[in-house]
Amino acid sequence: MTSTTVAPAVAGAPAEVRYAGFWVGAWRRFRRNRLAMFGLVFVVFILFVAIFAPFLAPYPYDKIDPTHGLEGPSREHLMGTDQLGRDVLSRVIYASRPMLLVGILTQLAGLLIGVPLGIISGYAGGILDWFITRLIDLFSALPWYLLVLYLVMVLKPSLQNLILAMTITSWLGSCRLVRGLTFSVREQDYIEAARALGIPTWRLLTNHVLPQAAPLLLWGFAAGIPTAVFAEAGLSFLGMGVRPPQPSWGQMLGEAGMFWMYKPHMFIFPSLMITLSVLAFQGLADGLREATNVNVNV
Amino acid sequence: MISYTLRRFGGIFMVLLLLSMFTFILSRTVPGGPWMQGVEIPQSPEQIEAFKAKYGLDKPLWQQYLVWLRNALTLDFGIPFTAPELTVTQLIFKQLPYSALVGGLAATLAVLLGIALGMIAAAKQNTWIDNLITIYAVGISTIPSFVMAFVLVYFFAAKLRWFPAGGWSGANLKTLTLPVVAYALPSTGGVARWTRQCVVEAMSADYVRTAYAKGLRQAGVMSRHVLRNALIPMITNFLPMFPGMMTGSIFIERTFGIPGLGQYFVMSSTNRDYPLVLGITMFWAILIALTYFLTDILYGIIDPRVRLVEKAS
Repeated sequence: MTSTTVAPAVAGAPAEVRYAGFWVGAWRRFRRNRLAMFGLVFVVFILFVAIFAPFLAPYPYDKIDPTHGLEGPSREHLMGTDQLGRDVLSRVIYASRPMLLVGILTQLAGLLIGVPLGIISGYAGGILDWFITRLIDLFSALPWYLLVLYLVMVLKPSLQNLILAMTITSWLGSCRLVRGLTFSVREQDYIEAARALGIPTWRLLTNHVLPQAAPLLLWGFAAGIPTAVFAEAGLSFLGMGVRPPQPSWGQMLGEAGMFWMYKPHMFIFPSLMITLSVLAFQGLADGLREATNVNVNV
Repeated sequence: MISYTLRRFGGIFMVLLLLSMFTFILSRTVPGGPWMQGVEIPQSPEQIEAFKAKYGLDKPLWQQYLVWLRNALTLDFGIPFTAPELTVTQLIFKQLPYSALVGGLAATLAVLLGIALGMIAAAKQNTWIDNLITIYAVGISTIPSFVMAFVLVYFFAAKLRWFPAGGWSGANLKTLTLPVVAYALPSTGGVARWTRQCVVEAMSADYVRTAYAKGLRQAGVMSRHVLRNALIPMITNFLPMFPGMMTGSIFIERTFGIPGLGQYFVMSSTNRDYPLVLGITMFWAILIALTYFLTDILYGIIDPRVRLVEKAS
C-alpha cells in the first residue's frame, strides 16, 4: 500500500535532476569564460570573412594602381593602399584564407596521422612503440620553425608545401597524447573484461579509448592552430610561404619592408589581424581546456 | 646516476644521427640544386657535371652521407657553395657571437621580467594586480616578435628618433636596445604564466601553512619555503630558453639587419647552399640536444625521484 504512493515520487525525481551530459556541461562552463567567447566569435567572424571574401572585398586583391600608391586610409581605400596601389583592406580580407587553411589543415592532418599512430603505439607496444617513440623524439629535437623552414626550402616555397611541412611536425602532440592515454587505459580492468567477452580490439579502441581522448584532442586541435598561424605569418614574412600576388598578413608585413616606417597603415592592419587571430584561437583552446576539465599533462 | 646519464646521452646521440640522415637525404634527393640557381646564365651539362664532381655530388647517396658524417663528427661541415673563402664551421663561429649577444641579452631580460611579474601575480593572487598581469601575459605572447619589432621601431626610431631605425653599425647600446626588447617581450608572457603557476602550486603546500602557523612573516615563507620548491620546475623550463634564443631569431635578425646565424640560415636556404644549411641545422640541433641533456641531468640531481622512476620502467 505504501509502496504505491512512494513510487511516483521516485519515478519523478530523476527527471528533475537529470544529468545534462558531458558536452552540455562543458558548453555551460565555456560560455562563462569571456576570452573563450571572444575567441569563438572572432573565429566565426574570420571564417565568414574568408568564405565570402570575393563579396566583401571592395577591390580585387591584385589590382595594381600606380597613381595611388602608398596612400593613407581614405573613403575609397578604408585601410589605404600599398606600394603598388593595391587596396590594403581587400588584401587583408583575402589573406584570412591562407591563415585559416594553414591553421586548420595542418591540425586536421596532424590528427589523422597522430591518432592512429598513437593508438597503435600505445596498444601494441614492443618494437612498433619503440619505433614510433623514436620518430617523435626525432622531430621534437629541433624547434618546429627550423624543421619547417628547412622543409619549405627543400620543397620550394608555396602554400601547399608550407602545409605539408607543418604537418610533419603537427602530428607529434596528438600522437604523444593518444599514446599515453591508450597506454594507461590498456591496463584497466574493464578493458580486460571487455576482451574476455570477446570484443574485437578495434571496437575496444573506438568505443573505450577514443571517447576518452576526444576532449583532449579537441583542445590539442585548437591549441595547435596559433602555432600554425605564427608559422604561416613568419614564413610568409620571410618570403618562404604564400607566393605573391596572393596576399598573406605576414607577407604583407614583409613586402611593406622599406615603406612602412612612414606609412603605419601598411603594418597596423596585418599585424592586428595576426595578433587577434592568435589571441582568438588561444582563448578558444584555453576555454575548451577549462570547460572540459582535461588534464593536459597526460 | 652514471647509467642514467649514459642512457640519456645514448638516446640523444641516436636522435642526432637519425636527424642528420633525414635532413641529408632530403636535401640530396629533391630535384634542383645550387647549380640551378643562375637561371639567367645558362649552364652546359658539362659545367653542371664539373660542379657536381667538385663537391662529390656525383657519388652514390650513401657514400656522400658517410663522407659527410665522418667529417661532421669532427665538426667539419665542408665549404659553403656561395662563400668558398671560409669553411662552414668558421662561418658559424664568425656569426654566432652576434646571435648569442642579442639572444642572450633577450633571454635574460625575458626571464628576469617574467619571473618578477609571475611572482607579483602569485603573491597578489586573485586581486586586480593578478588579473592585470595575466591579461598582459596572455596578450603579449600572441604578438609575433617581428610585429613587436615593427611597433618598437615605428615609435622609438621613426617617431621619437631615440634609436637608429635600421642598419647594423656594430654592437652598441643604440643598435642593441630595440632588437633585444622586441625579442624579449613576447617571451615574458610565457615566463610570467609559468612562474605564477609554479609559485601558486608551491604556496598551496601544507608546509607553507605550517610555516605561517609557526609565525614566520610572508617574506620569510616566500624566500625559504615557497621559492626553493617552485625553483625546480622553473629551472628546467627557463634554462633551455637561453640556447634556444641565443642561436638567433631569423625574424629579429632579418628586421634589424643583424649579421647573425639566423640571417645566414635564411640566406643559405634561399640559395640552396647544402653544406651551410646542413651545417647550421646540425649545429643548432646539437646545441639544443645538449641543453635538454644538461637539463635532464640537472633535474636528476635536484630531484632524485626522476632517477628512481627511470630505473623502475
